[in-house]
Amino acid sequence: MRKIVRLSWANIKKHKLETGALVILVMLCMLLISSSLEGISSIKSIFPNMMKNTESYENYILIPDNAYNREYENILSADERVEKSAASELLYSMSTNYLDDKGKEQALYMAFITKDNENKLERAEIETTMSDAEIADIKHPIYMPFSVKDGMGYKVGDKFDMIFGTKKFSFTVTGFYDTVLFDTSSGGLKMIVSDEDYHVLEAVLTKYNILVYNDNQGKGGTDLGNELIEAFEDYSNLDVKSGYMMLNYKNIKDGVVFFTELMLKVMIAMAAVIIVAIIIMIRYRIAGDIKDQIVSIGVLEAIGYTSKNITFSYVIEYLIISAVGILLGIGGCLMLSPVLFRTSEIMSGHRIYSKITLSPILLTAGGIILFVSLIAFIRANMVKKYPPVCAFRKGLGDHRFGKERLPLRDTKKSVHLRLAMKGFLNNFKQNIGLTACITISAIAIVFSFVMFSFFNDGMDAIVKSAGMEMSNLRVELMNSADAYEFAAEVEQMPEVRKATPTSGLSQMIKLVDCNELMFPMAFRDFKDTENIFPIEGRFPEHDNELMITNMCSRSENINVGDSVTLDYLNVKRKYIVTGIVTCLTNGGINIYLTEDGMKRLIPTYTPNTVEVYLKDGVNAEDFRYRLTQEYGRSISDMSDDESTGSSYEDRIKAEADRQIADLMASYGVSHIEYAIQAGDTVIKGNSSGFMIKSVMNILDIMNTQLSGIAQAISVTTTLFMLISALVVMIILFILMESSVRRQRKELGIMKGMGYTSKELMFQLAFRIMPAALFSVIIGTLIGIAAVNLITGYIGYIAINIPAVIVLDILLLLFCFGCAYIGARKIKKISVYELMTE
Amino acid sequence: MSTAVLHTEKLCKTFSSGGFQQHVIKNLDIEIREKDFTVIMGSSGSGKSTLLYALSGMDKPSLGKVFFGNEDISGYSNDELAVFRRKNCGFVFQSIYLLENMTVFDNVMTGALVAQKNSADLVKKAEQLLEKVGIKKECWKKYPNQLSGGECQRVGIVRAVINEPKILFADEPTGSLNSASSHDVLDIFTELHNKGQSIVMVTHDVKTALRGNRVIFLSDGTISGEYEMPKFGTDDVKKRRDGLQDFLDRMGW
Repeated sequence: MRKIVRLSWANIKKHKLETGALVILVMLCMLLISSSLEGISSIKSIFPNMMKNTESYENYILIPDNAYNREYENILSADERVEKSAASELLYSMSTNYLDDKGKEQALYMAFITKDNENKLERAEIETTMSDAEIADIKHPIYMPFSVKDGMGYKVGDKFDMIFGTKKFSFTVTGFYDTVLFDTSSGGLKMIVSDEDYHVLEAVLTKYNILVYNDNQGKGGTDLGNELIEAFEDYSNLDVKSGYMMLNYKNIKDGVVFFTELMLKVMIAMAAVIIVAIIIMIRYRIAGDIKDQIVSIGVLEAIGYTSKNITFSYVIEYLIISAVGILLGIGGCLMLSPVLFRTSEIMSGHRIYSKITLSPILLTAGGIILFVSLIAFIRANMVKKYPPVCAFRKGLGDHRFGKERLPLRDTKKSVHLRLAMKGFLNNFKQNIGLTACITISAIAIVFSFVMFSFFNDGMDAIVKSAGMEMSNLRVELMNSADAYEFAAEVEQMPEVRKATPTSGLSQMIKLVDCNELMFPMAFRDFKDTENIFPIEGRFPEHDNELMITNMCSRSENINVGDSVTLDYLNVKRKYIVTGIVTCLTNGGINIYLTEDGMKRLIPTYTPNTVEVYLKDGVNAEDFRYRLTQEYGRSISDMSDDESTGSSYEDRIKAEADRQIADLMASYGVSHIEYAIQAGDTVIKGNSSGFMIKSVMNILDIMNTQLSGIAQAISVTTTLFMLISALVVMIILFILMESSVRRQRKELGIMKGMGYTSKELMFQLAFRIMPAALFSVIIGTLIGIAAVNLITGYIGYIAINIPAVIVLDILLLLFCFGCAYIGARKIKKISVYELMTE
Repeated sequence: MSTAVLHTEKLCKTFSSGGFQQHVIKNLDIEIREKDFTVIMGSSGSGKSTLLYALSGMDKPSLGKVFFGNEDISGYSNDELAVFRRKNCGFVFQSIYLLENMTVFDNVMTGALVAQKNSADLVKKAEQLLEKVGIKKECWKKYPNQLSGGECQRVGIVRAVINEPKILFADEPTGSLNSASSHDVLDIFTELHNKGQSIVMVTHDVKTALRGNRVIFLSDGTISGEYEMPKFGTDDVKKRRDGLQDFLDRMGW
């Protein structure tokens, strides 16, 4: 045994560079597979653990206070499908902003809850560095979800300024907690505040009652939730449907699991590339080595070593190499897993209650050892073909008398190209492995590149795929306001380029064909839109037409020309699908129809939102301020306004306005008219000055929601591109080195004939180009197909074909460059040494 | 008297290994004349092959200069030497060194196409040369390991001369052949010489050396003697052999 190990060790020492490269590949393979398996096994337990730790309910239904009735709680608990339930309340708004560290206002949906109310929903385990005494001294404490800490970089003790309209509310961050629902910037961040601060905010933000429950349906509660909403509305005759929100654990879990699994699957695909690379390397290294050392092998056999001994010396050599690679890989995995967990925590905004388990690591290590041994054994077994005498004759008898390919007498142009092509055909088998390796790498590179360019192209590409209008400001009006009147008025302002009325997102409509509630986007004429593009079909023009998102189209196989049914309050209408729209926002559940189309389903429908497009150079935040000042969005400001007019009439009007503001804020009154007799004068007025309910800077919200994800995807895809390129580089280097070693004699002879090193390097490098070209074409096609597959889940991702072609050309040049540099050892071949050996 | 096609000035070649230096060629001045069939002889280790490879640009001298005509090639880079070789030199090796993965015809064409563009004339020339050295047409598509040693060496000679080199270098061209094959190969060399081809050949075989018209005897890296003969076939064979043998005896052969 010792003598066999000695042979193996001698071989390792002889090929240090190749050994190093193989160790790197095994290490990467180990790292990727074990981390992926670790991730896959953890992801299954992460959410159950999270639920267990927070003791959170699985389903939330949020109902605005003006549509709430306490009897709903009984209806909920009486349902036999509900296992347990509770009720609580919070304040929520989609019009809140916060001041970032540069003092700039950033949009962020926020919910505020008191600690007692929070405890009815889940157990908030606070993480803080402050003592109780320190917290008691803080005037406006606030506890935030971990995602604020991880994603926005807040620390305990930091100041947090919430902006609502013209009002600013300052808090001090006193701690963080894990919350399963209501913890993302996209859905809203739930902050725990003191009872006093809650009451202050109550005057400003909309109060929602929350009904929470666990059911035994296992479908994420959507169906049950919809039935409950129907039941609530039937009971109370209040308009619950237009203002309720539903959150459930399964949807949030599925979203995170989908992206995490997608990432892990890409990692496994990368590992597959590396495995192919390892197979190629081991096979060619052993074959090259046997050919190189054939006489020595003959000598060993002559002095008593059996071919089995020699075969096992190769197996042991590769076992040693893989053991080193595996150990480094385990080290890397142990270091990478916490990073992956942490990345998942940052991306999901949750604490991951999971620990590294040894079984995936051991399983991967065992698999790699077995796999490497098998490949090495199968290849090294070719030693059997060389008994001593045959080996002394350098394996004579192992000749090919195959068909002559590309005879040189037919050479038309460069002899070097011809010789390269001859070499390619003569090494066809070798090229199959190489093709597989470059193809998989090309798939990974093209896929990563398309994703990278899409997500790295600032927010422009994402915005174009948003599937909603990206005006500068989205103004939601009070129910009483006339959107067209308001739009016409706003359009007269010098800063405004255009104002288009549309539907808000408050009322959802059920698309019966997929049993999902959808956000309707209604416009009088879709030609007025600037950011809604049908990728297939056309805009709806008539009242029986609509467009759906590509996600909906794919998941339910609904195509242009198909008929679908919409259901609103049990009113059902059929529509023809005229177009498919890409939609990265609202979870891809938008439908697009004309105003007449909306009225066909909801006869009382009137647009309540206006998209305001500003002229170039106008600051959206300044204009928002002006708009809110002018149109009295800040009802609460009015109710707190202490200023009085100069005349008696003015003072009466101001008081009337305050009363109106109070009624609207406290009781959800939508329209008020008044007439006051003051002496001989009748002072009249109404609430039309309070037209604005909220103003949103959609681009800012998009930035907050998606820039973190875009950055994470850009980093991940860059990493994949680099790893793929590294694998291709290593493979080509090793392949070329092995080719040079195997063909040392031929190359020497050609040098003797007058071929220069550069010409020979070109020939050798060019040999791989047909395989590389084929691989890159196939890899590109599969890569694009993979992007299109993903498109079905997350929306349309534009593929810049010219950029992909440039990438392919660069990839081919990269392959040629690596092969050319890899063949540089040709320079070291001395003709003289060869001739006199 | 012919003009010198190649000459050296104080040519030295030293090999170093493990701190030990071996001076194989020492301050050697030699002149290779045009149209001469120069034979380099000497005992083992005398530096014959080293000299041949230094003269032909296969290897660089450690010191001194090698002139091809008036052109000093001793300072050339490896790639410049390769270009020099393809234009001016042909090689015939003891181990033949045909490319085993190529057919006979492709072996010849590989040598031809490195120096000139393909043409119908070039293909025709290759065919004529192969026929001339006795390689039948049915062998042209065969691989080297399907031919005998003598046939392979004849293919090697065709490959070496197809570009009409200014000098043909041969290192023990019959060293691995049987006597019948050796005779055939040497006849080809004689014929080439008769047509005016300059040849430099290293050998330790007297029979082979008899084909030349000038014999240079190397001893310990320096020229210890030189012997001139008429062209092969123009004089009495016995007298020629005795004369050469006498020279070699004097050189201590």
